[in-house]
Amino acid sequence: MSMPPAQGAYTCPYCRMTGQGQDATCPHCGAPVDVRLHVSDSGWIEQPPIRDMARIRFGRSTCQISGAYVPVADMGLHDDDWVYFSHHVLLHTDPRVNLDNLPMRGGWKRMRAGLPLIMMRARGPGHIAFSADEPGETLAVPLRLGQAVDVAEHRFLVATGNVGYEWDNSNVWFTTKDGDDEEWHYPVGRTIDRFTAAGSHGLLLLHAPGNTFIRDLAAGQRILIQPGGLIWKDPTVSMFLHFEYPHGQYWFSSPRWQAKSTWLALQGPGRIAVQSVFERPEQVGSVRRSSPATQQAW
Amino acid sequence: MDRIQCQWCQAQNEMSQTNCATCGAPLDVKDKVSDSGWTEAPRLRDMTEFRFSNSTCQIEGEIVPVAELALAQGDSVFFEHHVMLWKEPQVPMSALNTGGGMKRTLGGMPHILSVAHGPGRVAFSRDAAGEVVVLPLHPSMELDVREHAFLAGTHSLTYSFVRIKGLVNVLHGGSGMYMDRFVTQAQPGLLLLHGYGNVFQKTLQPGEQILIEPGGFLYKDSTVSMNAVQQKIKTGLMSRGMYLAEMTGPGRVGIQSMYVHHGSE
Repeated sequence: MSMPPAQGAYTCPYCRMTGQGQDATCPHCGAPVDVRLHVSDSGWIEQPPIRDMARIRFGRSTCQISGAYVPVADMGLHDDDWVYFSHHVLLHTDPRVNLDNLPMRGGWKRMRAGLPLIMMRARGPGHIAFSADEPGETLAVPLRLGQAVDVAEHRFLVATGNVGYEWDNSNVWFTTKDGDDEEWHYPVGRTIDRFTAAGSHGLLLLHAPGNTFIRDLAAGQRILIQPGGLIWKDPTVSMFLHFEYPHGQYWFSSPRWQAKSTWLALQGPGRIAVQSVFERPEQVGSVRRSSPATQQAW
Repeated sequence: MDRIQCQWCQAQNEMSQTNCATCGAPLDVKDKVSDSGWTEAPRLRDMTEFRFSNSTCQIEGEIVPVAELALAQGDSVFFEHHVMLWKEPQVPMSALNTGGGMKRTLGGMPHILSVAHGPGRVAFSRDAAGEVVVLPLHPSMELDVREHAFLAGTHSLTYSFVRIKGLVNVLHGGSGMYMDRFVTQAQPGLLLLHGYGNVFQKTLQPGEQILIEPGGFLYKDSTVSMNAVQQKIKTGLMSRGMYLAEMTGPGRVGIQSMYVHHGSE
């Protein structure tokens, strides 16, 4: 991900947008300006929670984040601005905010993937607020003109109208045999969302359960993560499966049965973000077929 | 003598206090009010203690807070049995019959509320991350609360339950079939609620309206009317439009930022 043009004295280490650094929080992503960067020995940067009541600016509107356990994103929409979202994240709205539908393509595939078939669109003026149903952090990802990010299923909260939304197959899958049936597994979900800022800078809000950590991968650098821990990545980061087979003492702990670890391998260059809460991966049978994957026995 | 007024419950406190003696709200931090007018419920400090009648309540923990009550002789609190975390063995217990019979069964509400009497200690908590909201009720107040959301009410409160009016509200409101109603007569009372996630409150002026997601509703003054209104927006292939709860003032409205579905309650 390239750096935005230098316009001010301060570059936010989390969203990499520039500003004057005079406010207590970054006006683009809400991250505190006056805290030390927390970097683990292994290179993960802890994304600080957006401070209670911090304001983020987009277009001619503002977004205020309030609360700490399940933060609320309260948007003061200007007449010229609009946002879109899935209906289940709406918390409250002024009656004067204009709500309508934003149809999605690929209805049947989205329904099979458990994704909303129809997005809602809110046009200003007025206040409208969003929240998710899990304790965690609200992440603001400001997108420069033309910049895109890939986001794991169900992490999306709301985006500004100038952020294009596409989705595609994740191409991360494997099958196992259950009797005569072949079972399909999608460790990061069937699909992955891609958001791209078109026409001007945009703002994407995500919600991640638990805590959030980010890091940059150099070209060719790999890291293995729990598939359910992925929040977002740069499109330049490739992903594939990695299976590990520990050598067990008994026949039922052999690779032919179900003793395996399923990892998501991410390969740079680019930035990735993970969450500390993830679904436990399924341990079911031996892998018959899969998308491109590496493996290791130990 | 100078006093500090609590911005949450309006009680008067001595200047030396850092927490409100009536509701535990911090007095030495500024109220957090969003640009759209929602006030964040005060985050009660760990081990905050406040008094009601001759008893005390201490709030412990922050992610799923526990309300620990030290009940004095003559004081009592009522609650739904599933929120009781622990109690001292000698605390006398009794039952408060709610009436309503089959109606409450249909509404998924308990027929009997438990009552703990002083002297002794008893503690309450709920089953997901959130905040304890302390609502002191002045004489002649009526408050409607989302079903199953109250932790405990003091003995001076009169408990009843009201059906949410209108078939549309019941079927599509997402707030259940009934609301708990708490009324004070001549004596003040104290109500402890647990809201999932974070809790916010807004005071609506007469006629002022706001639309909220029904799962986010937590409490309201009985003067605030609530109606499920259908939006002309599709949310799926077969759905005909989503419903939002239209709240009309005057009065307070409280919301929670997380919805936890209790299919078994």
